[in-house]
Amino acid sequence: MTTTPSLHGEYKMPGGKLIVIDLELREGRLADVQLSGDFFLEPDAALRAIDDALDGLPADAGEATLASAVRARLPAGVMMYGISPEAVAVAVRRAIDQAPRA
Amino acid sequence: MSRTTWRDHDWQLIHDAPQAPALHMALDEVLTDEVGAGHRPPTLRIWEWGGPAVVIGRFQSLRNEVDGEAARRHGIEVVRRISGGGAMFIEPGNTITYSICAPLSLIDGLSFQQAYAFMDAWTLEALAGLGIKAWYQPLNDIASEAGKIAGAAQAHRRGAVLHHVTMAYDIDAGKMLQVLRIGREKLSDKGTQSAVKRVDPLRSQTGLARAAVIEQMIDTFRRLHGLADGNLRDAERVRAELLARDKFAGEAWTADVA
Repeated sequence: MTTTPSLHGEYKMPGGKLIVIDLELREGRLADVQLSGDFFLEPDAALRAIDDALDGLPADAGEATLASAVRARLPAGVMMYGISPEAVAVAVRRAIDQAPRA
Repeated sequence: MSRTTWRDHDWQLIHDAPQAPALHMALDEVLTDEVGAGHRPPTLRIWEWGGPAVVIGRFQSLRNEVDGEAARRHGIEVVRRISGGGAMFIEPGNTITYSICAPLSLIDGLSFQQAYAFMDAWTLEALAGLGIKAWYQPLNDIASEAGKIAGAAQAHRRGAVLHHVTMAYDIDAGKMLQVLRIGREKLSDKGTQSAVKRVDPLRSQTGLARAAVIEQMIDTFRRLHGLADGNLRDAERVRAELLARDKFAGEAWTADVA
């Protein structure tokens, strides 16, 4: 088993599914971002596109900044059900704003 | 593409002997692709399980969802499916699972929410025939007065839609909670963890054996949509066995979302 990222945030999107973010902070920036959850996303490669969009953003980026960074990297024709860029942004903020897990 | 109806298609039933969890994952992929390519008729496949399994959704985190040590202790195989949605806990005989592989035209123009309900309308009718009042609960659940009965998931692949559903027939909730982490948290939130022993909405509300419930479901599908008995073709089985070995039984796929 690899090491567990230190920051973890969850957000149940109203009318949607559970959005989970695991990440690290390195030098004030998001690193090793992993989005997961029981949402629906097509094509499935969009998952990594979202992780990549978030990697490297400043730790103090607000929800609007995070959401537009995600939206800008979504593949054309992406289908999202139970998840949205805004909901991902909420989960990211929750991960950063909560104390690290023991 | 214009919308087709159920009756525009010649539906075929596959209800095979019990198979390993990884092979079921592979069969979903192979059969959906075959339907999408026009090589096989639209198909209803009823699953029989060769062993206990946890099936996680395409986008779920393996370590967040599954207690790997508990799964190993109970001899439970952990596999990842190609559709999104949540984890399910399977023991042979404790769930009813089916897949519908259909041309995308069947749900053309429908919203996601409409498409889920549309694909399972026959199931609600089958349940009504068994005396269970059930309804679609967006986004992707079938619910009854005795609680959630089933969860559905869809995936679109090259001209076809895969719609699969797992229904709780009689689940050992205690064991499920040892293996699924999220289930444990969700239930403890509701203060029900110690009280729940079985999740058995189908068994308790019908009093019927699992096989009898399946028979009623097949009969209902046949009456509403038409359904011919069919079989897995040899070439499909071979492809699925290779895919099970090379992809679905492998760590790279299962831990793709770590």
